[in-house]
Amino acid sequence: MLDARPMIIVDRLTKRFTLTRQQRREMGPHSGTSIDAVQEIGFTCRPGRIFTLLGPNGAGKTTTLRMIATMLKPTSGSITVAGFDTAKHPEEVRKRVGFLTGNTGLYDRLTPDELIAYYGNLHAMDRAAFQRRREELYSILGIHEFARRRIGRLSSGMKQKVSIARTMIHDPQVVVFDEATAALDVVTSRNIIQLIRQCREQGRTVIFSTHRMGEVSLLSDDLAIIHRGRLVFLGTYPEFQAGMKTQSVEDEFIRLVEAA
Amino acid sequence: MKTFRTIFFKEMLDTVRDRRTLFVMVIFPLLLFPLLLTAVTAVQTSQIRKAEDRVLRIGLALHGNAAGLRTLLASRTGYALVEGINPDSARAFLERDSLDAAIVVSDRFDRTVAEGGKGTVTLSYRFSDEYSIAERRVKEILREFEKGLVEKRFERLGVRPEIVEAVALQEQDITPLKEKLGRTIGGFLPYLFVIFCFMGCMYPAIDLAAGEKERGTIETLLTAPVSRFQILLGKFAVVVLTGLLSAAVSMLGLYVAVSRNPDLPREMLGAMTGILDAGTILLVLSLLLPVAMFFAAFLLSLSFYARSYKEAQSLISPLTIVIILPVAVGMIPGIELTPLTALIPVLNVSLATKEIIAGTITPDLLALVYASLLALAGISLWACSRWVDREETIFRGG
Repeated sequence: MLDARPMIIVDRLTKRFTLTRQQRREMGPHSGTSIDAVQEIGFTCRPGRIFTLLGPNGAGKTTTLRMIATMLKPTSGSITVAGFDTAKHPEEVRKRVGFLTGNTGLYDRLTPDELIAYYGNLHAMDRAAFQRRREELYSILGIHEFARRRIGRLSSGMKQKVSIARTMIHDPQVVVFDEATAALDVVTSRNIIQLIRQCREQGRTVIFSTHRMGEVSLLSDDLAIIHRGRLVFLGTYPEFQAGMKTQSVEDEFIRLVEAA
Repeated sequence: MKTFRTIFFKEMLDTVRDRRTLFVMVIFPLLLFPLLLTAVTAVQTSQIRKAEDRVLRIGLALHGNAAGLRTLLASRTGYALVEGINPDSARAFLERDSLDAAIVVSDRFDRTVAEGGKGTVTLSYRFSDEYSIAERRVKEILREFEKGLVEKRFERLGVRPEIVEAVALQEQDITPLKEKLGRTIGGFLPYLFVIFCFMGCMYPAIDLAAGEKERGTIETLLTAPVSRFQILLGKFAVVVLTGLLSAAVSMLGLYVAVSRNPDLPREMLGAMTGILDAGTILLVLSLLLPVAMFFAAFLLSLSFYARSYKEAQSLISPLTIVIILPVAVGMIPGIELTPLTALIPVLNVSLATKEIIAGTITPDLLALVYASLLALAGISLWACSRWVDREETIFRGG
């Protein structure tokens, strides 16, 4: 699998945010006028592998993933997804990317049917392909029984299933999970972890961010540890394990972060 | 176009399922005027009837004079006479509410009148009804009494009463009632249209931008293969439509309120329904279209900037007052639609509506108003799209 051509190529990526007056006040007199949330990072993600972006809160994980999903533009450096530059061809990239966050991000006043149809239409799917894909996802996730109920009246587990269907409806080659399990209960988290594994088995490129160490060891093929916008480790998970100078993944993570 | 349709229909569906928006957009403007007008006229009619039916307690101090006045008052229903009051106590009686009015006739009244002079009658009153009906009723009796005295004088002199009138003025006001009402009501109507248009835009704009950010749906929407401008355009169209719908519904409510109100004079009813004809409504709505576009762009800009629904509400709500100001300026007498005022947004809507309703709008000024409003709508949509394209706006605080 390592021989497969990279699906995502991140090259010397930097994202600089201008600080607001209030942020400057909060950060003290030496804060400057801007902050580099991501600084000159580079990595590649390959199909059929899970790339984990591990880091503490505020490390730059979400910013990196938002740039990959074209929500944010890089200040410098580049990202290529399936051969398309995210800055030059954002819509081509979006056709190939599914994005799932911990916040389910659904429209409460729509039904799952309406929501999935909405995203199918936004992805310009033809009717037959859409119906086939929807049927497939509904069966796997068990959405049929509540497909016509308003989303606002569904349980959080049901909502998460709808969110997954929404992410996967256009059959994306790349699936981005941004702290997708962070706010979820154990059962729903397990569903997401299963989904991540299924995506790998289906040959999709998976990139997911987390600060949960347990998930790292469960899922990672490749690992990047990010701290204050810089990568402090980049390699395969077996390489990470082989280089560990402490007893646990958590201790090793803390050691690397503190050393940085 | 397909993407725009997709976003538009989804946002519309989402909006009409929001009870709060639906209430502000349709229910409130539709019911406000019928309820308000029914309630106001019912209270008014009852107050007037009460004032007309009320028995007025009139204190009389005639000092043996003006027997005709007493006879006149006694012959009419609705007056309870308290005769022989002390003139010095009249004020106290009125203050204590023991009397509604006191008529004091001077002790030389009859002699003065007989000598061709002016006899003094002092009318003191303390009427509390807002329509001055009690005051009018007493004064009518006094005028009738005076008329009788004057007629007797003419009779004694052997001349016709008409001799004092040398000019028979025949007034012919050819101003159509529609035009007259247009100048008065026409100044008031833009208030309703503009305010309801703004309110109709307000809640969907907050929900479709700040609400989207708060729910976290903006992130997933931004990962769909559509441009931000397409997303904005879909939302923008919904906000414009709801603004127009709200204004149109308020007009419908007003029309229903006026046409179904039995207490309004028939002449006024005819003129009012004439004002609210389909052509006028369409013309006014066509003026509101660019205004709604401006409101939609402006409100969406603010709403996208806000971090939450609540923040958007606190940013936008005070603007309701700001919006009224240019409309209110349009109501000041002397402010007319000119080539200059036709260029001032919102004020021009107010002035043009007046002229449209009065039927006195000229095509060149109307064209100028449209040009100014369309330019404003275009600029605000362009500015809004630039604003929404900024990462600092969409991801502010996130």
